[in-house]
Amino acid sequence: MLSPLAVKQWRRFRSIRRGYWSALILTATIVLSLGAELLVNSRALVVFYQGELFFPTYGAFLPGTTFGLDYDFETDYRDLKRVFAQRGEGDWVLLPPVAFNALENDLKTDSYPPYSPSLRSGHYLGTDSTGRDVLARLVYGFRTAMAFSFVLLAFNYAIGIATGCAMGFWGGAFDLLFQRLIEILNNVPTLYVIMIVASVVVPNFWTLLAVMVLLGWTQMTWYMRTSTYKEKSREYVVAARALGATSVRMIGSHILPNAISVIVTFIPFSVAGGVTLLTALDYLGFGLPPPTPSWGEMLSQGTSHLESPWIVTSVVAAMVVVLLMVTYVGEAIREAFDPKQFTYYE
Amino acid sequence: MTSYFVRRFLLILPTFLGVTVLVFTLTRLVPGGPIERMLNEAAMAGADNAGATSGYDGHGAGALSDQQIEELKAYYGFDKPVLVAYADWLGKVLTLDLGTSTRYSEPVWETVKGRLPISIFYGVATLILTYGVCVPLGIVKAIRHKTAFDNLSSAVVFFGYAIPSYVVAIALLTGFAANLEWFPLGGFVSDDFDDLSGLEKAGDVASHAVLPLLSYMAGSFAVTTLLMKNSLMDNLAAEYVRTAIAKGMNFRAAVFGHALRNSLIPIATSFGNNITLIVTGSFLIEKIFNIDGFGLLGFESLVERDYPVVMGILVISSLLFLIGNILSDVCVALTDPRVKFGSGESGQ
Repeated sequence: MLSPLAVKQWRRFRSIRRGYWSALILTATIVLSLGAELLVNSRALVVFYQGELFFPTYGAFLPGTTFGLDYDFETDYRDLKRVFAQRGEGDWVLLPPVAFNALENDLKTDSYPPYSPSLRSGHYLGTDSTGRDVLARLVYGFRTAMAFSFVLLAFNYAIGIATGCAMGFWGGAFDLLFQRLIEILNNVPTLYVIMIVASVVVPNFWTLLAVMVLLGWTQMTWYMRTSTYKEKSREYVVAARALGATSVRMIGSHILPNAISVIVTFIPFSVAGGVTLLTALDYLGFGLPPPTPSWGEMLSQGTSHLESPWIVTSVVAAMVVVLLMVTYVGEAIREAFDPKQFTYYE
Repeated sequence: MTSYFVRRFLLILPTFLGVTVLVFTLTRLVPGGPIERMLNEAAMAGADNAGATSGYDGHGAGALSDQQIEELKAYYGFDKPVLVAYADWLGKVLTLDLGTSTRYSEPVWETVKGRLPISIFYGVATLILTYGVCVPLGIVKAIRHKTAFDNLSSAVVFFGYAIPSYVVAIALLTGFAANLEWFPLGGFVSDDFDDLSGLEKAGDVASHAVLPLLSYMAGSFAVTTLLMKNSLMDNLAAEYVRTAIAKGMNFRAAVFGHALRNSLIPIATSFGNNITLIVTGSFLIEKIFNIDGFGLLGFESLVERDYPVVMGILVISSLLFLIGNILSDVCVALTDPRVKFGSGESGQ
């Protein structure tokens, strides 16, 4: 059951068209990117061979011999399509809209990559300097960045909210101790420290995440501390205490629900921050290990191949569009939670 | 006020010690240190997995000679008990003895010092431009709220807010330097800088500085402008301004005489952090434009695994952060007479 306030906020959010539509488009894009294997992949969606249907997208790879080709490694479905067309025996291959995955190098015999965008070759946004499809890397890079950002957010918020709440609730020495700890963490250049650690320990998705959480969990603590502090002295909490409620109950069913509602307004900005941080790290070469498709790695390729502007243009455009939309959503949510009324003079 | 400053400065000590402990912990990561030994042992145990990690510029083992590793061990005191090593190291840091660069074979402090002027040039220029543009712009936007000018400039500000400065920098570099060739592709000055006359020299530095300065500004422009606008609007709506206007004071005098000073308080809270920008710049922007400043040094040292410089830069930036935060607090205390230590919660 939604509270009347939440309904009102939702109405207000919907009335801000820009943010509402951005939210819809972003959600759709994220959901689509979860099934990216069906849209951008070197594996065919459906193969019809000798009266039998094959769905190679998920699961183990099908060797070329499955379709009467003369090799045991994975079938080249783009090639298979040509072969079937030549044979003209009624077999067919249905390829995804973009028939490349993010890791394969599609090289030509007569020239060196990067190849410029072309409809004929199927590289709609061209390829990067090792012949990998830019669009495919963009799509999978988006998925990586978003996944990373959301997991990072979940950890940072969980730790930040818990710590901040405890600091506001208990106060005293515990509060002072954590204040110092947070101040110390805020006094080191986060990006540089992550890079130092990454230069010694080659990071993967989870180790990189762990380092970032270790340095970044402080984000929400100040806010939670202050709002817990305020809620704690309200009459309804004092009443609950007088009725004999335990600390857990006071926090869990009284303070937290009230203090936490506004946290929603920070989420879009944290998502944008996560994407920005990961991309910066990848750009500098200290992020996720290659050949993980990532926007930062593409930015770095783009800037070192400025004579092939399709690489850098694609990534910059993608980043601008995504970050603008995320920020539109953020502004709309903020507006919905706190419609500002200003006085102004004529 | 005095007691506030005294107590504020006393709190520096635990934070300073904490920061140095953190940095010291990170120094344990350098080659020859305990962390590497642990990693090596782990790698021995799982030697089969080693293949996946090689062949990448940022990662992997670097080429340090045995002698250099011995020097690192001696400087960071890997052979001593942790507490003794920490005390020794702290003593050296406090006397600016940050070790010897393995790449340049000179004291780290000398290497760093050589890069500072360039970063300071960009830092100061950014600072002047940012405040010179943002504060007036914020004021105009607040007074002309919801006019065409406000809406138009809001679009620009919003863009700067949403897009990180390094993406702006890359876009500028691609558009104006690589494609249109209006500006050079990077660097601080041209190669033939020494042959130019005085005026040409100034022009050369300026043409190299346009794009990086725009990128730096993109980083802080939006936040400062919006902060200025919103806090001025809050104050304009406050009762004391309404009273002043109701008494017949003209609007201009009410804004500049009453509302403005109070609106500058939020701006002051972030003022001290500029010191970090001034001195260290941003290594993303310095790398993109290949500006040979403090930030690029930090990045290159890391790629080249010149750990004494890396750790030196980490120490210096952490201390600058610390000083910046104190400076911010001092600025706030100076502009906001309500600040009293320990009453932060009730005063908010």
